[in-house]
Amino acid sequence: MSEMWINMGPQHPMTHGLWNLRVRVDGEVVLDVDPEMGYLHRGIEKISEDRHYNEVVTLMDRTCYVAGLAWEHLFITAAERALHIEPPERAVWIRMMTEEFQRIGSHIMWYAAFVQDIGLMSPFLYGMRDRDLILDLFQSYTGARLTYEYNRVGGTRNDLPSGFTDRARKVCDWLEDRFREYDTLCLASDIFHKRCDGLGRLKASDCVRLGVTGPMIRSAGLKRDLRKDRPYHAYDQVQFDVAVAEGADVTARYLVRMEEMRQSLRILRQCFDWLDRHPGPVVAENLPRWLGAPYAPVGREGYLLKRNYPKGVGFSAVEEPHGEALAYIVNEGGEHPYRVKLKSPVFTNISAARHYLVGYRVADIPPIMGSVDVCIGEVDR
Amino acid sequence: MGGLTQTTPSGTVRPTAATVGELPMLTEAQVPFLEIETLRAREFIPASKEALSSMISEQTQDKLVRPVLNWAGRNSLFPLHWGLACCAIEFAAAFGARWDAERFGVVPRSSPRQCDLLIVNGTVTWKVAHKLIALYEQIPEPKWVIAMGNCATGGGPFRTAYSVVPGVDKLVPVDVYIAGCPPRPEALLDGILRLENLIKERRT
Amino acid sequence: MDEKAATERLRSQLSTRFPAGILAVEPFPGTLGRVRFDPALALDLFRELRDVHGFTHLGMVAGIDWVQEREVVYTLWSDERRVYLFLSTLLPADRARIESATAIWPSADWHERETWELVDIQFDHHPDLRHLLLPTGYQFHPLLRSFKLHEPEDLEVKVRNV
Repeated sequence: MSEMWINMGPQHPMTHGLWNLRVRVDGEVVLDVDPEMGYLHRGIEKISEDRHYNEVVTLMDRTCYVAGLAWEHLFITAAERALHIEPPERAVWIRMMTEEFQRIGSHIMWYAAFVQDIGLMSPFLYGMRDRDLILDLFQSYTGARLTYEYNRVGGTRNDLPSGFTDRARKVCDWLEDRFREYDTLCLASDIFHKRCDGLGRLKASDCVRLGVTGPMIRSAGLKRDLRKDRPYHAYDQVQFDVAVAEGADVTARYLVRMEEMRQSLRILRQCFDWLDRHPGPVVAENLPRWLGAPYAPVGREGYLLKRNYPKGVGFSAVEEPHGEALAYIVNEGGEHPYRVKLKSPVFTNISAARHYLVGYRVADIPPIMGSVDVCIGEVDR
Repeated sequence: MGGLTQTTPSGTVRPTAATVGELPMLTEAQVPFLEIETLRAREFIPASKEALSSMISEQTQDKLVRPVLNWAGRNSLFPLHWGLACCAIEFAAAFGARWDAERFGVVPRSSPRQCDLLIVNGTVTWKVAHKLIALYEQIPEPKWVIAMGNCATGGGPFRTAYSVVPGVDKLVPVDVYIAGCPPRPEALLDGILRLENLIKERRT
Repeated sequence: MDEKAATERLRSQLSTRFPAGILAVEPFPGTLGRVRFDPALALDLFRELRDVHGFTHLGMVAGIDWVQEREVVYTLWSDERRVYLFLSTLLPADRARIESATAIWPSADWHERETWELVDIQFDHHPDLRHLLLPTGYQFHPLLRSFKLHEPEDLEVKVRNV
């Protein structure tokens, strides 16, 4: 009997995040899997209970650092519902455009990290170069590359700069050609197919039973996407298709994410047209003074105490690049939220690890876990 | 084994393992692992220092050997391929084509035995503290630590959390602190260059 | 108002099926509603919702500490009806136990582990209730209101002198 437990992590080039995958192996074959999380548990939900709503937005960026703005939207939509505030329409469309750019950025980051697990190196460099174009666009209107703090309760912090949509259209055209190049680098490569075809199968009924969402369930043939099933922001006003693939293996997830990036470009072009035609305010009028203007005052003396502010509960569900993310915010009438509960799609996707890792070999684990697209900040919060 | 601090031959002063601080969340069973690693690392060093100084005169060491060793060391810093949190994304971007870090000789290695630099890029929690110290102990001398980002410097936005170490210098001695949340890739490269200047000044 | 009518329909269906145990079915904007139920009814209600009403996906399990009592909130999603449903139950603080939902939705596994370690709610018949995000052996439940965080200026790591 050569069975033993191996630690893959917390320092391991395949983990893409701070977690430990304990595998029980018999020689090379994986018999059982026990993921160990919590190495990045920073108590975000507990800290949020001591912070003003606009201050919690800074923590939401850091929850999932590759898709920070999607998590900001998740939190801010729920907070606005809990506080009974409606953002203006232009803010909603800016959020939708930002979320689609964030989806492309997150998928490119996934691609850059995933191909390193397969053994390819050039796509990493191409991916980082293209992602930097998107980050430059973000920097032009949010001011930052990675942690944006752009959304406020009631809208966004500032409007887009002039000429933004022209620059953004050029970036979209450039990216369209680059996605064809990515496919040439990967799909036409024998190494990719030998390492990825048929691995990590998780069929549709298992996905539903285990609560797996996002590109993993769409790669199993089920067309489930919150942007179509329960449209939020303004997704019911744009045309796009949901990317679905058959096969439920690593190659299928790759195809789903590539197609999602192309559909995001389609949504983005419609967003640019709408934003060009509809100027307007990006912050709601009649915000209560304690929620502040877009540049909320620093320090406690800027905020009025609440009196008779109606209580509420806010819920939002967002199709984040990794899957379905939920936020549940309890507002007890104060300046701070009473409870912020966040659910991450990667949390459930990793909890199902036993079902798509057992039976394969140890060398197959990096491609499979890479295709799950792990981002530990949102799992541990 | 006693004493509050120890001075390594490379000149850094660091706390002994027993004074690393109360780690409130871990059970006793994990501590002996640290002590074993510490013992092994410390026994190895004196032998090599003796060999160097007995064969070569001190003046040659100061003027010739030491500058050559410093030049080699600072132009081939190998950090550990390890990302903790958001700063790791900027760490990865610094190794892309736009802010090419490899032109400074910086190549990330997967095994701590092949490294000499530990870049702590992200929030350090108490749960990972022992693993971080174990990785640090596994890196052979001479070694340096860069604390990248606000979380590694002093806890960052999560300083008040129950599970976060308020700064990685409570666990390992830090040579360069890079502020930022996250610091831009240019700031990381600037920090690496400042470390290279520090290495240039090494006398021991 | 389709939402209100659908919530009413659900309320009447559930009240007929479970004459005792459904405390209220309130409207919750954007979802099918929020069902407040008695904790003793847990497994039967879950089975009914999954098999008859088609809520096959458990989104999340949240624990909320209201000092005297603790609330558990379940979020369900139905693929056919494309709608979310909330379940909520209140447990007394000194005896916070409820049946685990892993028998009905296996995805509840990690959610319940996290809810137990953060808000101290016991889930009976959970296959493996141990720490997930906190280190093994951590004795506190951080998201309880009685657990206070430091101010940043108060923090200092005690260095043990040997």
